[in-house]
Amino acid sequence: MTDPVVLSAVDVLVDLFQPGTLARIVLDALSKSALYVVIASGLSLIFGLMGVLNFAHGSLTMLGAYLGGAVMVALVSSGTSGPVRFLLFFLAIAAAFGLLTLLGGAVEVALIRPIYDREPLFQILLTFGVVLVLDELARIAVELYGLQPQSEWQAAMGTAPGFLSSWYGVAGVSTRGLYLFEVVVGALVVVAIWAFLTRTRYGLYIRAGSEDPEMTRALGIDVRKAFTVVFGVGAGLAGLAGVVLMWDPRFGASVPLGVETLLVAFVVVIIGGLGSFRGTVAAAGVVGLTDALMTWLFQNHVAFPGLPEMAMFLVLVAVLVVRPQGLFGVAEVGGH
Amino acid sequence: MSGDPPALELDGVHSYYGESHVLRGVDLAVETGENVALVGRNGVGKTTTLRSILGLTPPREGTVRLHGEDVTGVETHEIARRGVGWVPEERRMFSHLSVEENLRVATPPDADVNARVEEALDAFPALRDHRTRDAGDLSGGQQQMVSIARALVGDNDLLLVDEPSEGLAPFIVKEVVDALGTLADDVTLLLVEQNFPMAMDLTDRFYLLDHGEVVESGQSGAVARDDETIRRYLSA
Amino acid sequence: MTDVGEEPETESTGGYLRRLLGEQAVHIAVILAFALYPVVYAVLVRTPLGAEFDVFLPRVHTMVAVLYIGLFAMSFDFISGYTGYLSFGHSLFYGTGAYLVVLTATGKVPMLGSDTPFMALLLVAGILAVAVAVLVGLVSFRLTGVYFAMITLGFAEVAHVFIRNWDHVSSNPRDGATIAGGDGFALGVPGVDTLQVEIGRIVGTNLGAVFGLGLGIEVDETWVSFYAIGAVVVVCYFLMQRIVHSPFGRVMIAIRENEERARAVGYDVYRFKLAAFAISGFFAAVAGGLFAGYSRSVAPSNTFDLFHTAEALLAAIIGGFGTLAGPLYGYLFTASVEGVLSTEHHGIARYLRRGLSDAMLSSGAGGVTVADAIGVLVDGRADLYLGIVFILFVLYVPHGILGTLRDRLGGTVAKRLSDRLRSTFGGRHR
Repeated sequence: MTDPVVLSAVDVLVDLFQPGTLARIVLDALSKSALYVVIASGLSLIFGLMGVLNFAHGSLTMLGAYLGGAVMVALVSSGTSGPVRFLLFFLAIAAAFGLLTLLGGAVEVALIRPIYDREPLFQILLTFGVVLVLDELARIAVELYGLQPQSEWQAAMGTAPGFLSSWYGVAGVSTRGLYLFEVVVGALVVVAIWAFLTRTRYGLYIRAGSEDPEMTRALGIDVRKAFTVVFGVGAGLAGLAGVVLMWDPRFGASVPLGVETLLVAFVVVIIGGLGSFRGTVAAAGVVGLTDALMTWLFQNHVAFPGLPEMAMFLVLVAVLVVRPQGLFGVAEVGGH
Repeated sequence: MSGDPPALELDGVHSYYGESHVLRGVDLAVETGENVALVGRNGVGKTTTLRSILGLTPPREGTVRLHGEDVTGVETHEIARRGVGWVPEERRMFSHLSVEENLRVATPPDADVNARVEEALDAFPALRDHRTRDAGDLSGGQQQMVSIARALVGDNDLLLVDEPSEGLAPFIVKEVVDALGTLADDVTLLLVEQNFPMAMDLTDRFYLLDHGEVVESGQSGAVARDDETIRRYLSA
Repeated sequence: MTDVGEEPETESTGGYLRRLLGEQAVHIAVILAFALYPVVYAVLVRTPLGAEFDVFLPRVHTMVAVLYIGLFAMSFDFISGYTGYLSFGHSLFYGTGAYLVVLTATGKVPMLGSDTPFMALLLVAGILAVAVAVLVGLVSFRLTGVYFAMITLGFAEVAHVFIRNWDHVSSNPRDGATIAGGDGFALGVPGVDTLQVEIGRIVGTNLGAVFGLGLGIEVDETWVSFYAIGAVVVVCYFLMQRIVHSPFGRVMIAIRENEERARAVGYDVYRFKLAAFAISGFFAAVAGGLFAGYSRSVAPSNTFDLFHTAEALLAAIIGGFGTLAGPLYGYLFTASVEGVLSTEHHGIARYLRRGLSDAMLSSGAGGVTVADAIGVLVDGRADLYLGIVFILFVLYVPHGILGTLRDRLGGTVAKRLSDRLRSTFGGRHR
C-alpha cells in the first residue's frame, strides 16, 4: 500500500513540471520579485545609511497609490488618447515620487533628526507614530473627497494606459501587460539604485556613511544632508511602488495596503540582511519565488488561502534561525 | 610675537563622555608648519583632545581656534573642510569600499578627483597595486597608509594623527614613520603616540597630558629619555 | 533603580500592618479610585452636566477594556521595558489566550470540554502561552535589537495569517468566532460557589434589584465584569510587581542596562531572558482570556494583529516604558481619547451635533461647514490625535507619564509618594 501523502506529493511534482505550469510560475515569480524589490528598496537604503527601520514605509506606499490614482482621475477623461494617457501615467509616477520625496525629507528633518542620538528603539517608535497619523490622514482625505467607494474612483482603474490591462503571450503563457511592466520597473529601479550607489559621488558618500558616519563627517562630508536626501528618496521609492500597486488587481489602493506592503518590505529587507542592497535584491527573488510557488500550490492542491503569506513569514523565521544577519548582512550592521 | 596666529590653539578645553569629565582644561598651541607630539598614558584624554578639536566630542567649556578663528561648536564636517585631516586610532577604513573609493570619498567636490587620487597613489606606491581591492582586505600596515593618504587628499594643512604605530609589526612601523617623516615637512602635525622615542623623533615639540591636563611641555630634541618627570607620567 | 527595602529587626504586628499600609498607600488609593469609579460615573451622569460627563468620562464598559488591555500592555512592558527586548509579536500570546477560551467554549479543543471552568481555562491559556513563548524565545533570543523585534513579529504574523484562514475556528475565520448562548464565564475563588460571579456583556443577569443603591443606578453585568476582571488584574499586577522587585527583576534590568556586564558577572542571561519572556507571555494570555471571556467573541483583528501589539506599545510609551503600572494608565489615556472621539452616541461628535444649533452647524467658510468639519476632524478620529500625542511623547516625554513622575520624585512612584506621605503625616518608620 502506498502512503497517500507520498502519492499526492508525487502528483504535485508531476503537475509542477508541466511546461506551461513552470513558465506561469516563473513569470509570476518574476513580477512579484520585481514588485517586492520596488517596495523594499527604499526601506533598505534608509536602514543601510541611518540604521532607522522606517515603519511608515508602507503608509508612504499607500499614499503613493492614492496619489497616482488621484492624478489619473483628475487628468484623464474617456476621450484622452492612448499616447497622452501613456504620458500622464508616467507623470503620475513622477508626481508620486516627487511629492513623497518631499514628505520623506520633511519627516526626517522635523521628527527623526532630533532623536538620532537616542536608542534605535525610539526611531522605530517615532516612525510608528507617523504610521498612525498618515493612515488616519489618508482616511480623512478618502472621506472628504469621496474617493472610495464611489464609481468615479473605480473609474481610476480604467484611466491607465491600455498596455497595462492588455494580455500578452510570453513563453506560451498569457500574462497581463501590468505584470510585464512591473518586471521592467523592478529592473530599472535596481539598475538606477545600483548606479547611484556605485557611480555617483553622492552614492559613495552614502556607502561610506553607512559604514562609519563619524569618520565620514570627519572627512568633511555633511552626513546629515545625506540622511535627509536618502530618507526622501526612500520615501519617494515607496510612493513609486504605490502607483504601480494601484492598478495591480492583487493589491489596489486602500489604507490597509500600508501594513500589507510594510510587512512584505520588512521580510525582504531582513532576509536580505539589513543594510545590504544586494541582499534586498536577492531576498526579493527568494520571496517572490516562494510566493509564486505557494500561490500555485494553493490554487491547485492545498485548500488553505493563507499559504503564500504564511510561507513568506516562515522563510523569514527560517533565515533568521540559520543566518541571523540575513543572506548578505554583516553581523554588526544595525547593532549600534 | 609673530604676526600669524597659531594653526591650532586650545584654550581651557573641558570635554565629557556622558557624565565622565575627561578633559579638564587643556591648553596647547601648534604653530603653522610645526610638528607637535601629544604624549601620556592610556586614558588621560589624548584621543579625546583630537575628537574635541574635530567637534566629534564638542567641548563643554573653553575654545578651539584654527588660525585664530573660533571653531568651538562648529559642525565636524565644517571643521574638516577648514583643512583638518584625521588619521584615527585603529585606522577606521571604509572596509567595503575599495582603496581608491576610500580616497575619493575624502577628496573635496571641487577638486580634480582623479588627479588627487593619482597623487596619493604616487606618494604611497605600495597602495597602487591594491587600488581596486576592498580596503578591509588589506594588511594593517597598508590600511594605515590608506588612512594617512585619505587625510592628505582633502586640502588639509593640519593633520591629527592618532597612534599610527599601534598594532603594527616593527618593520611596518618603520614604513609608517618614514611616510609620516616625509609628510612632516609639508604640513602641521599633531601626533598622538604611545611610542615615546618615535614621537620625539618625528616632532619638534611635545605636550605631556595627564588626567585631562597638560602637565609638561618642551622641545622634543632636548628631552632625555630617562627624564624623571616623563618617566613618572608615562610608566603605567 | 530598584528599591532595597530596609527591614527592621523586630516589629510588632501592628507596626508591620501600618508599615504595609504606608508602603502600599498609592496602590490602595489607585485600587480604591478604580473601585469607586463606576459609582462616581453613574452619579455624575445623572447631574445637570450629565451629558458632558457622558462624553468626557470613559464608560464602565470602556474601563473593563482598560483592565484587560492594560494587563496586556503591562505584560508587554514586563519583557520590553524591563529587559529592553522589544517583543513586537506580543499579540501572539494575547491571541493564544483569547482563542483558547472561545474555541474551548465552542467545543473545538480536544480534551477540554466546553464546560471547563473559566479560571482553569485562564490557567491553561497562560501555560500554553508559556510553552509558545519558550519555543519562540529559544530561537529569538539568539538575536538582539531590531532583529529580535522582527523575528517575534514574524512568528506572530505566521499565527495571524494561520488563524485568519483556519476554517476550524468558524465558517468565516477572517471574522473570528463567537460563543452563541450558554452561561457566562465564572470568575472567583475556585470551589466556593458563593464567591463566583459571571462575567460577560450579554449574560443578562440584571443585579439591579439586589444592589439598587437607592440612586436609580442599575448594577448590570458590566459592573460585575469590571470588579471580577479588576480583581484578576490586580492579582496579576502584584505578581509581576513582586518579580520585578525581586533579584530576578534586578537581573532583567541589568540585561537592559548592559547585557555584556550581566553576562560577565556570571548570569546565564539567555535563561533569564527566556524566563522573563515566558512570564510575560503567561500574563498576556491571561489578558487575552479575560477579553474573550468578557466579549464572548474573538477576531484576528483584535487579537493576533500587529496593530494590537501597537495598542500595548502606545500605552507603554505614554504611560511609561519600564514602569510596570504605567502602561495601564497609558491605555486609560488612549481609551479615554478614543471614547471622547468615538462615533457612537457617547462621542463628542454626536454631542456637538445635538448641542449646536442648525445655523451654527451649517455655517462655515470656503464651502466647508462646521458640520463637515466635525465629521472629518472629530468623528472617530482618535487615531489621528493619538498618533500625534504618541509622536510628541517619543520626542519630548520619552519616559512617559509614570517614568517622568518617577524621575522627578527620584524613585518608584509608589515608594516615594508613600515616603513623602509618611514623612508629611508623621509616620514613625521614616
